[in-house]
Amino acid sequence: MSQIITLEQLKQTLKEKLASGARVVAPVLDGDMATFKPITNVEKASFEPRACVQNSIKEFFFPKHETLFSFVRQGNDVVLTDAADFDVEQIVVGARPCDAAALPILDPLFAWDYQDRFYQERRAKTTVVTFACTKSDAHCFCSAVGGAPDNTSGADAILFDLGDGSFEVRAVTEKGTALFAGKTSESDKTGAACEPPKADFDVNSIAAWIRENYSSPLWEKVSLRCVGCGACAFVCPTCHCFDMVDEGSYNKGKRVRNWDSCQEAMFTLHASGHNPRGTQGKRQRQRLAHKFVIYPDKFKSFLCTGCGSCSRSCGQMFGVRPCLEALDKQGVKAQQ
Amino acid sequence: METELRNAIRKLLEEKTVDVAIGYGRVGVGGAVGAVFVTSPDEVDQLVWNSECRQNLAVHLTRPEIKALGKIAIVVKACDARAVVVLANESQIKRDEIVVVGVVCEGVVKARFDGSNGEQLFEKCASCVEHAPKNVDVLIGDEAKAAELDAKNAPTAATSGNQAKLAKLRAMTSEERFQYWRGEFSRCVRCYACRQSCPLCYCNRCVADKNRPTRIETSASMKGVFAWNLLRAFHLAGRCVSCGSCAAACPAGIELDLLNLTLVNAAKEHFNYVAGEPGVPPLIGTYSLDDEEDFIR
Repeated sequence: MSQIITLEQLKQTLKEKLASGARVVAPVLDGDMATFKPITNVEKASFEPRACVQNSIKEFFFPKHETLFSFVRQGNDVVLTDAADFDVEQIVVGARPCDAAALPILDPLFAWDYQDRFYQERRAKTTVVTFACTKSDAHCFCSAVGGAPDNTSGADAILFDLGDGSFEVRAVTEKGTALFAGKTSESDKTGAACEPPKADFDVNSIAAWIRENYSSPLWEKVSLRCVGCGACAFVCPTCHCFDMVDEGSYNKGKRVRNWDSCQEAMFTLHASGHNPRGTQGKRQRQRLAHKFVIYPDKFKSFLCTGCGSCSRSCGQMFGVRPCLEALDKQGVKAQQ
Repeated sequence: METELRNAIRKLLEEKTVDVAIGYGRVGVGGAVGAVFVTSPDEVDQLVWNSECRQNLAVHLTRPEIKALGKIAIVVKACDARAVVVLANESQIKRDEIVVVGVVCEGVVKARFDGSNGEQLFEKCASCVEHAPKNVDVLIGDEAKAAELDAKNAPTAATSGNQAKLAKLRAMTSEERFQYWRGEFSRCVRCYACRQSCPLCYCNRCVADKNRPTRIETSASMKGVFAWNLLRAFHLAGRCVSCGSCAAACPAGIELDLLNLTLVNAAKEHFNYVAGEPGVPPLIGTYSLDDEEDFIR
């Protein structure tokens, strides 16, 4: 027997959470564009599986901008005030499986040499509910990096759209079980995800090529059209680089953390004026090597879930998939 | 037209007039159109010309990675050709060192939010009155057809497309307009896709990247996103050619070209100036002894 929930029951569950003071995040439609936002009215949210949402749910764990502490100068002393704890319960609903899958990939990073309480507190207080995919598009390649349209990695519960205004609920963790306790009914209906997306490249072979071809001229060649913005990194569920700066005045201000991207020339510009990654080819090499060699070496997983957000968002029609395909065709297969 | 374009580029490469031709090719996911850099006559079949050729390729003219390839030929639409004029006017390129291959453009289609091709033309195209590029060395396409399309759009150009969108914003109270942009900018992540895809944002060190001292906050806070987006619009005053690259590149779907259009209109209204006219000196950086304002003399 499966557990099912109707759309009305799902909305009611979220309404109760909102009433209890929790923050509910869901996709909100503006024309054809869906954006994950905190909602106050569940009717404003869009509860259907979709391959494309403008932003990743990562910003509800690792915001694009956050205050770490504030400071004020008093005489010869500087008084520091810690940022407030994140003590709100958070429910993220409607995430794509490939978006949620980034969370267990990032967990060891934010608990590595430094325990990042900002990320960890939000992670501990958040329940993630994903929708199993009902369609994929040409940008999707989760299956090439170990994912699947019904992958439950990072999800506390996964919902399968039954197409009749109800969803099959499969709780994955205790948090997921708790969220839907008493809200579902038994049924003999079961849901299924779409077929996995196709990719005719092997990521492990490409990773091996990257390891051996640091100085290949191919890096510059395949990256020529990249203009060096951070769109790919900022929509990516796994990219996590940040910059810390002080804002305010000499006497009063705050230290903040902002997203940063290795695709921007400023990222590695030294005070001397030297830039060790002075061309876009070197910056793309860094991005790809980090995702498929460096991160797996350190944390045992690719820093990519195959969600395709980078290539969907790229104004120059680049991104991880086109880059992997170019390296595969012009590097890996050219050598065979 | 595509064959004509390929032949023209092949000739330039064969005769070694140029080392690299920047054009459009099916390079993205599912054959999406983006820039290709053709360095050999054998590769010209990669080049395409169709209504999906959205990017303003002039952005590549000032990039060191591209300049390193040698002498450049570039494929431009009429709006892109205007950016080439501004780049030359502002001494960023030497016009006689590049070969500009213009194509008559009947409009390019917007990408849908998921990256696929939509059916709708960009707003800038719906009100376009310059279908054949000026200031080119080679022109591909039917000039008569271009003139016909210009004439068709001319009567409604000032009231359709982006002008109609802008008029709606201008009709709002300042508080309503502020709330509109607040909503739009709330999605801004400070990725600088607008800046990086703009041919006229060529500064080696953008004011947003200056940190000794910081000129504007780098944060994607409300203060930071307003500061950034308004500052960029002002830095393009009298320079923006309305190619729409900024809005097309924005991953958050913010209609940044409307900000620029406000200043394009101001330049037209106050100085009867349109950026990118060949032979016309730049608005910013030009003065007249006959100026009616006292302070300038």
